[in-house]
Amino acid sequence: MIRIENVTKLYGPKVAVQDLSLHVPAGELFAFLGPNGAGKTTTIKMLCGLLFPTTGSVSIGGFDVRAEGDHARALVSYVPDQPFLYEKLTGREFLQFTADLYAMPTDRSAEKIEEVIELFHLDEFVDDLTERYSHGMRQRTVFAAALVHEPKLLIADEPTVGLDPKSIRELKTLLRKLASDGTTIFLSTHTLDIAQELADRIGILDRGKLLGCGNMTDLRKQANQDGSLEDLFMKITEETSAEVPV
Amino acid sequence: MGAELPAVADQGALFRRLRSRLFRNGLRVAMENGLARLLTMIATSAVVAAFTFAVSLYLFNQLATNNITLKGGIVEALFDILFFTLGTMLIFSTGIILYASLFTSPEARFLLCSPARADQIFAMKFQAAVLFSSWGFVILGVPIFVAYGIMSGVPWYFYPLLPLYLFGYVLLPGSVSAAGCILLVRYMPRNRKQFFAFVGLVLALVLLFWAYRIAITFKRSIITSGRELDDLIGQFDLMRSGVAPSHWMTRGVMAAARGDFEAALLPLAQVWSNGLLFYLFAAFIAKRVYRTAYDRISAFGRGKKIYKTSPLDRLMESLVFYLDKRTRVLVVKDFRTFRRDPTQWAVLAIFGGLMMLGASNFRQYYSADLGVMDKYAISLMNLSGTAILLCAGLSRFIFPLISLEGRKFWILGLTPLSRDQILWGKFAFAATGSLLIAETLILTSDVLLTLPVEGLLLHAVAVAVIAIGLSALNVGLGAYLPTFRETDPSKIVVGFGGTVNMVVGLAFLVAVIGTMVVPFHVAQLAQRATQGAVKINPWVYAGMPVGLIVGALAIVLPLRSGARSLREMEF
Repeated sequence: MIRIENVTKLYGPKVAVQDLSLHVPAGELFAFLGPNGAGKTTTIKMLCGLLFPTTGSVSIGGFDVRAEGDHARALVSYVPDQPFLYEKLTGREFLQFTADLYAMPTDRSAEKIEEVIELFHLDEFVDDLTERYSHGMRQRTVFAAALVHEPKLLIADEPTVGLDPKSIRELKTLLRKLASDGTTIFLSTHTLDIAQELADRIGILDRGKLLGCGNMTDLRKQANQDGSLEDLFMKITEETSAEVPV
Repeated sequence: MGAELPAVADQGALFRRLRSRLFRNGLRVAMENGLARLLTMIATSAVVAAFTFAVSLYLFNQLATNNITLKGGIVEALFDILFFTLGTMLIFSTGIILYASLFTSPEARFLLCSPARADQIFAMKFQAAVLFSSWGFVILGVPIFVAYGIMSGVPWYFYPLLPLYLFGYVLLPGSVSAAGCILLVRYMPRNRKQFFAFVGLVLALVLLFWAYRIAITFKRSIITSGRELDDLIGQFDLMRSGVAPSHWMTRGVMAAARGDFEAALLPLAQVWSNGLLFYLFAAFIAKRVYRTAYDRISAFGRGKKIYKTSPLDRLMESLVFYLDKRTRVLVVKDFRTFRRDPTQWAVLAIFGGLMMLGASNFRQYYSADLGVMDKYAISLMNLSGTAILLCAGLSRFIFPLISLEGRKFWILGLTPLSRDQILWGKFAFAATGSLLIAETLILTSDVLLTLPVEGLLLHAVAVAVIAIGLSALNVGLGAYLPTFRETDPSKIVVGFGGTVNMVVGLAFLVAVIGTMVVPFHVAQLAQRATQGAVKINPWVYAGMPVGLIVGALAIVLPLRSGARSLREMEF
């Protein structure tokens, strides 16, 4: 579903992502980890077509993001860390707008809208204007909108921020279910427990380079150490820091 | 290639529905939350339109009284200048709004991540930008031409053609501006400092040369009152040529006024067809380069750019030396935010350019024979013009300051500063800057005009009252009527609070100038007209205390209301 081939992204003289290659097959839940400024958000923005690689290529579902961006983006849903909603639309109107934007047939969209309203427990406020929503309500609405058009790839940047424990639990269950139903999930998070619990594979990025990628067993082998994901993450990123000349 | 092409929505219709829904919901909320607010906004717009209408009616009447044909060459030249000026302003204002909404708004980021096509996103943003930047054009333009129509006795179809002309005209400068904005972002050289310095230098040279030519011709024409008036108008040849859209507008409006219906339709078709053609051109450019432009601007300046304190920050801090250290820090924060936002200082550059143009005229008036144009009349015009520009400038930059704190207001709310100090900091920032700029301009021009000491003192006091009063009005009303949800200052200015603030500011100007300055100038004019027969009565200064009281009220009342509102604000 995701093919990132030798991608480098420069911000002026600064290298944000360096020679990154990554393949994520359909139906996989992939967690992307890294310290602040590692290049995670830049990579996500390239997957969404918001930014373009300086060199290399990114394709989604076989569509090159630069050359066939409209088709590629039709397969993707992106839940950013700072969700956007039209303040003067109700939650339901926003869901309808999203479904229409992705060209869903009317009867199917009506069905899906009701489904996501129930799934994310939006029924109490879905007909209010979104300007009155709390952060958690906004986050749930954005997630509902991200799923309403049945994307092939769901990209989420820190999806649990602002959610209460019950919603986090439900979200985790949902993400696993979506992956098992064939949706590819690309998750960027600092919450290592969630990554360890949910992900099929984990990628660790630091200073724009992919330092490690694989399941827990692969990462343990690479770090030459047993332990939790937190231990492995610290070991892998600290080793690289030590290698970088000051 | 992907195996299966995803379905494509009719995005044009979809965005039309979105706009319509947003408008309907917004209107409903406005009606529910405060009908008074909506009505006040409509009423203030009506007041502005009525005032423009009355002034236009008076001026056209003066032309008619002086036997100047209202359907002749002089009025035609005036319309050319009017349309050209408005078109130029539209280019800048649309460009600035579009830059903010295409490249920095969360909505643009959201839509760019969706299958929405670049040209459709552009179209939606373009329509909103043109609407925002041109409502003033329509509110001011319609009364001027209705007044013209009444005074010159035009056929009935002049009136229905008028909005068609005005709406058609906003398309062309808007489209040029939009295309320029996207192309600039996409292809601007990496070294922006050098690029802006070069462009600024070239523009300044061209403007100076043009202003010089106009001034020389104007000087000749006011000295001789002869054929040189043609030369003066000749300086505006470019805007009067057949290729200038401003001239198409003039030709069409004048033809409609003369009752030549067929001749009125051709320029109308020219305005619309060229406007639509340029709109298509801008949309084509957006389709090709908007996404890459967004990518480029996102990558810009995120490398090794290091922001340091600038000497300008230190200058700003030293100008508010009378404040305590913590409030000074707030003032410098506001100033730094302002100078690092290109959409803000670009507008300041426009205001600055206008003021400079005025200042260069002051100099030329001085060189000219002031026996023809009385120095008292000119100095009053200078003062009024500067005051109006100050009013517009403060409304644009100072009124939105509290609103722009937006959802981050809690940061200020949790600082060890009192809310009153926050307000005083913004007031000090506004008053210091505006006082310095306005006093420098007015006193320099008055000295050049050899105004007597009493005139200089009077102007100095009046300008101080205006600058400090307007600053207090803008800061106070900005806190009393904030718009925290909006991040674009130009949209805050044209909202409810901004409109009320603008109208109150203009009324304040009329009151202060009318009571403090006008009696003195009228007496001086009367004395010169009667060659000294009429003596200057000390009563001409009687308006001073009235103006000072109005000024004091303009400072105390809005600041007190704003401070109360700010103290009660929850975050």
